[in-house]
Amino acid sequence: MSASASLKIAPTLDQLERIAAIVEDLGEQDDWPPDLIFKVNLVLDELSVNIVNYGGEASEIEVSLDADADEVRVEISDDGRPFDPLTDAMEPDLDASLEDRAIGGLGIHLVREMMDELHYSREDGKNRLAMVKRKGG
Amino acid sequence: MPIESRRDNGTLIIQTEERVDSANAQAFYQELDSAIESEDRAVVMDMERLAYISSAGLRVILQTARKLQQQNAKFAICSLSGTVREVFEISGFDRVIDIHSSQADAIAAVSG
Repeated sequence: MSASASLKIAPTLDQLERIAAIVEDLGEQDDWPPDLIFKVNLVLDELSVNIVNYGGEASEIEVSLDADADEVRVEISDDGRPFDPLTDAMEPDLDASLEDRAIGGLGIHLVREMMDELHYSREDGKNRLAMVKRKGG
Repeated sequence: MPIESRRDNGTLIIQTEERVDSANAQAFYQELDSAIESEDRAVVMDMERLAYISSAGLRVILQTARKLQQQNAKFAICSLSGTVREVFEISGFDRVIDIHSSQADAIAAVSG
C-alpha cells in the first residue's frame, strides 16, 4: 500500500490550511494514527510559517508526501533566500527559566525532534528539505 | 471553537479550544487576555479538548505563564493528550510550567 500527494501554494498564511487538508486526506486514505497526522502536520506547519515569515522573495511553497507501509517521506521546498533550517536556525535554551526563555527557535526544534531523518539541499535556486517519519515510532 | 472560562472558589478555569496554530494563535492570545483579570491569583488551563498545537500556540502559553507570574498568580495546565504532552516535553515547557493529569489535581495545586 502506498499513497502520495503534492501541492503548490503561495507563501501566505491564509494558504497554509491547504497543506493541513492534504495531510488529513492522505492520513485518512493511508490509515495513519492521529499521532502521525499530528506530527506531519506540525512539521509542515512550522516550516511553511517560517518560509512565509522569513523566506524573503519566495513566490511559492511546494509540499509533497509519499507514504508506504513503513514510512512517510515529506518534502518541502521554496524559492526564497537560502536557508538551511538544520544549521541556520537558533537553538532554543530548554533549560531557561520562564522569564529568560526566548520565543524563537521552537518551531524548528520541534521539526528536528519529530522527524527521523532530515536532509537539506539548495538546488536550482530552491531550498529543499526532505524528511522521513517512520510509522513504527 | 473559542475558549470557555469559569471561576470556581477563586480559581479561574479555562477550557482551551481544539486547535491552536499559526492561523488562530493571535485570537487565542486575545481570548486568554480578556478572560484573565489582573486580580486573578489562581489559573488552571484545561487542555482536554486540545487536539493540535504548534509553536505559535506554545508561544501564547509562554506569554500567558509569564504574565501570570508577574501578577503573582499560580498557574497550572492539565489533561494534555498524548501527542500534545509530547510537544510540551520536547519544548521543555514541562520544566517551567506546572502540568497535571487531571483538572482536580491542577486546581489543588494552584489553590494551595
